[in-house]
Amino acid sequence: MKTLLARASLRHLGGHPWLTALSLLGIAMGVAVVVSIDLASGSALRAFEQSTDVVAGKATHQIVGGTSGLPEGVYTALKLRPDAPEAAPVVQGFVQVEGGNHRTLTLLGLDPFAEAPFRDFSTGNAVGDVGALLTKSGTVVMGAKTARVLGVKVGDTLPVTVTGLRRELHVSALLSPSQETTERALESLLICDLSTAQEVLGQTGRLTRVDLRLKDGEAEAARLRAALPRGAELVATSGRAGTVEQMTRAFRTNLTALSLLALVVGMFLIYNTMTFSVVQRRGMLGRLRAVGVTRGELFVLVLGEALMLGIVGTIAGLLLGILMASGLVGLITRTINDLYFVVNVRRLSLEPFTLIKGLGLGLGATVLAALVPAWEAARATPVTALRRSTEEDSTHRQAPKRALMGLGLLLLSGGLLAWPTQALPPAYTGLFGVMLGCALLVPWATEKLTVAAARPLGALFGPLGRMAARGVTASLSRTAVALAALMVAVATTVGVGLMVSSFRGTVVAWLESALQADVFVSPPSLVARRGDSALVPGLAEKLRSTPGVEASGSIRVVHVRIDDVETDLLAIDFAKGHERTYRFKEGRAEDVWRQVDASRDAVLVSEPFAFHRGVHAGDTLRVSTDKGLHDFRVAGVYFDYGSDVGTVMMPRPTYDHWYDDRSVTGLSLIAAPGQDVDELVSRVRDRAGGEQALNVRANKALRQASLEVFDRTFTITQVLRLLAIGVAFVGVLSALMSLQLERAREFAVLRATGLTPGQLWGMVSLQTGLLGLLAGLFSIPLGLALAYVLVHVINQRSFGWTLQLVVSPGVVGQAMLLALVAAALAGLYPAWRMARANPAMALREE
Amino acid sequence: MGRGLVIGIVLVLATLSVAVGVVMRDAEDTGPERSGTMTVAGALGGDGGTEGYARAMEPRPFRFPEDHGPHPDFRTEWWYWTGNLETEDGRAFGYQFTLFRSALSPEKPTERDSAWGTRQVFMGHFTVSDVSAGRFHVTERFSRAAVGLAGSEGSPFHVWLEDWDVRSEGAAGTWPMHLRAQGDGVTLDLVLDEGKPPVLQGDRGLSQKGPEKGNASYYYSMTRMPSRGTVSVEGQTVSVKGESWMDREWSTSALGPELVGWDWFALQLSDGGELMNYQLRNEDGSADPFSAGTWNPPAGDAVHLTREDVKLEVLDTWKSPRGTKYPSRWRLQVPRLALDLTVTPKLADQELPVSVRYWEGAVSLEGTREGKPVQGRGYVELTGYADAARREDATTRSRTP
Repeated sequence: MKTLLARASLRHLGGHPWLTALSLLGIAMGVAVVVSIDLASGSALRAFEQSTDVVAGKATHQIVGGTSGLPEGVYTALKLRPDAPEAAPVVQGFVQVEGGNHRTLTLLGLDPFAEAPFRDFSTGNAVGDVGALLTKSGTVVMGAKTARVLGVKVGDTLPVTVTGLRRELHVSALLSPSQETTERALESLLICDLSTAQEVLGQTGRLTRVDLRLKDGEAEAARLRAALPRGAELVATSGRAGTVEQMTRAFRTNLTALSLLALVVGMFLIYNTMTFSVVQRRGMLGRLRAVGVTRGELFVLVLGEALMLGIVGTIAGLLLGILMASGLVGLITRTINDLYFVVNVRRLSLEPFTLIKGLGLGLGATVLAALVPAWEAARATPVTALRRSTEEDSTHRQAPKRALMGLGLLLLSGGLLAWPTQALPPAYTGLFGVMLGCALLVPWATEKLTVAAARPLGALFGPLGRMAARGVTASLSRTAVALAALMVAVATTVGVGLMVSSFRGTVVAWLESALQADVFVSPPSLVARRGDSALVPGLAEKLRSTPGVEASGSIRVVHVRIDDVETDLLAIDFAKGHERTYRFKEGRAEDVWRQVDASRDAVLVSEPFAFHRGVHAGDTLRVSTDKGLHDFRVAGVYFDYGSDVGTVMMPRPTYDHWYDDRSVTGLSLIAAPGQDVDELVSRVRDRAGGEQALNVRANKALRQASLEVFDRTFTITQVLRLLAIGVAFVGVLSALMSLQLERAREFAVLRATGLTPGQLWGMVSLQTGLLGLLAGLFSIPLGLALAYVLVHVINQRSFGWTLQLVVSPGVVGQAMLLALVAAALAGLYPAWRMARANPAMALREE
Repeated sequence: MGRGLVIGIVLVLATLSVAVGVVMRDAEDTGPERSGTMTVAGALGGDGGTEGYARAMEPRPFRFPEDHGPHPDFRTEWWYWTGNLETEDGRAFGYQFTLFRSALSPEKPTERDSAWGTRQVFMGHFTVSDVSAGRFHVTERFSRAAVGLAGSEGSPFHVWLEDWDVRSEGAAGTWPMHLRAQGDGVTLDLVLDEGKPPVLQGDRGLSQKGPEKGNASYYYSMTRMPSRGTVSVEGQTVSVKGESWMDREWSTSALGPELVGWDWFALQLSDGGELMNYQLRNEDGSADPFSAGTWNPPAGDAVHLTREDVKLEVLDTWKSPRGTKYPSRWRLQVPRLALDLTVTPKLADQELPVSVRYWEGAVSLEGTREGKPVQGRGYVELTGYADAARREDATTRSRTP
């Protein structure tokens, strides 16, 4: 009996190859999107963590300095102590390889004599002249693999740029460590002697940090701390672990959530397929019950079918996911590089856990989606199951009940979303609740709408139009499911699309108000949103005094520790006599400016910073300065969309008071009245000379460039949206096609009663068109709701940004178009098949 | 229809698998590569060339205290202190404190912005033999001679490697010197007086190491320096007194290819005389013709000894826990001086498991000179027994006696 049932299942699935294939494709795509995002972002994160781990080595503690590192004397003083700990000085920075693909590499300056307890780049035999590291300036060693990729050999010169300055490095040896993690880390490293690093990075006299291995732990740390000069801090490396993870958590959570949306759409597809197959086989299921098959066996039968689809689809999805991930990893790396830090991801790391998770998700989703159909199949009594009308009757009867349930669910979800918490899980639960609630409303709404549509359609197309409309209601049990699946799929694309366009609109408005000067000057930076490279000394003054400049301001971006977390600090020298272009979320502009200008202890924080750290105007922040830790008062919270982790800002005089650093990261120049801006740009370029490569940009060009970066960081989101659209399209296609194919008998009757193939085609097209239209219409309110939740709840909770929701007609129109085109395509094949089929054959079929 | 579906699915899965295989193989491709490293020993080794460095070609006048200071134009140089110390109640200690200077390249450094750029690096070995406890403490250290981490100065005399240092503390001149070092649980704090005047080794201080001209070093010793101070072992500090020996040598030379190592003796006799002798060992175990020594009598001029003057016989051997066999007791005879000594290590295990392994330890001696019984103590160094294959390494080269 069991084998018989299994064979019946297989026969059924095989009998509808297109539908089976489409539902497999749906599962596969859903799983693939989730797996690929997980793999790609995981790979990027692991690559970064591995390289930081290898670079940080076995240090237990580090001595770090203020904004410009440590004076090198700190290390000597430490080593000349009688109880000197194991310590290694490090000078570290980024260089960009000239030519080729402009790869960014970390230049790691070490003291080979102090290295042994910390890092192990050395196992095996030396190749090339390692001694030259100390004696010849510019000598570096690098991983053999990186060398091969860059096409460099031992003895070659490697030209690089550092904050726009050109330097020549000489490769003296290649390393191929035996350990794989070290080898991976080496792929983005250039190792050199400390002396070379200081010279190349322009850090003469300074150290980035001193790595320590303290045997007595905190007691020893406290002893050493007491002897450190002002501005130097001794911190445990354990605090470092996870900062990267934290920094990018919101970014990655959102990607994962968006990818899960694709899986949810896939789930609706499975639900649709399984429901449909149950409905279609109700006759056979009834007969099986009549010959003694138990409810349990039927339940298992349907679930087993689903599971089989799930296994095949999920495996295909995993494979597809790996393929997609190898494409996406570049995109995600790019985004992370734009937003957070420099990371080179040269390969995908296939984490078994990710794959298992994908497998679980795929199978789980399939089984979950098949539960209701399986239950319905098992519930059927032998007699009623034989009658199709029973099913339809109950669907109609239950439509209002389900609608009420949907309403209840919507209310519940609304409540969950309104719940004042900053946690993300309730937000996502609410989001999915809203989707499910809307799906439950679909049967009732469909019924009402199609009944209403019958009259106008009848008026337009005659009886065929009425038949098309009534057909939808008549087979509500199937159309409703298909419609719900369509609605969710299309609404997802609407929601994500509106979220991105709203975000962009907000950023555009912000850029317009924030960028008021005419010309902006800055050296190229490696992380687009966190530029901290400096102009060469003296250049800023020279450029600020360019003829034609009426007023000028400057900005300095540095990374400092605030409440023990690395944070971007902006020191701004405002252009005199010009309006300051900040808008405040907390605090009145005049009050805020008065406070910060008057006091050396007041700072401003950006909205995401305030959000992430739970800081408000009036609170204090403990900031590491060159004069040691100091408490600053938060005078206000300003709007800023430049950094999702947040920034802290202080006026330049405050910065100069607390820090020894006098560099400038960027300049804003305001043209004198009547001065042509383009002319000013070229004058500034001439004045800058060729010493340092600089970006000199007019207001418009900078705005353009900023938006380009913005768009780049959202490329991955757009790709996800396109994938969701793809899944949705497959969904529409399979749902509508199955609907029409199932009606073969009905069409045969119509044909037998005299309908021409053309008329039949018209009717089918009209019906699928109507369904597409309905799905499109339903998806608009749901899409808007999703967009609202994404913008005002999820984005707010992830990044702390206040965004303006803007409904762009383009996105909505796109969704309608998607629904209609997919619907039209879905009608083509069944209509073509029905029109060709011999009615007599079709009638005999069952 | 059903079969078509199955075939289709299998085909799609197979295609996907192949594609994944291709993508992942690209990613995993490592390719064969020679392995490379960055080792300190490698960095210290330099390229071994002698070109561009000053050489020890002929005898030169020695001037003190200037010559206690550095001679940076030579490739290698060391300050080598050894000594035997005792507490009031007779607890014996031996110590070795060595600072090696090694130039990585001969040319003067071009003006560099970074203070870390240098061609001079230092290596230090510090051992204390706690004879009564049977413990041997060893520490090795490296540093570049830059930013105050290590270096040497002639006047006032100062040589240091991080917190290890020896400096003049005399108000008027070089003496006394103050030696401070710690590591591996022991701390040594000693004040050294001049004692007997410097002894020039070899031909007026030119110590020839091979047949070619220039394969030699400038070499002098302070053979008996009264020393007093403290030794701390695991937190317990005791006062000690004793006598130290200082070897100073600088050169740009290398061992000949047939030489595997040497046995070096620095012995202080109870009658007031001192004997330095080194035997350069050939691969077959025989003594090289350039083996040599010096007898510094209680009073009067030093006597140069050749290979033929000294008869060295191994009485016993010792196998180190690391598997190397060392000679461990000797009979040393100098018929010309009517000297007949038996030299015995105070501890068997005084092997330094450092980057290049060797044995160096405190010894006691007894025997006769000119018929009269003598005792004494000293230090012996045995190199080239362990890691014979690595004798080309930095330390070996820098410590050619």
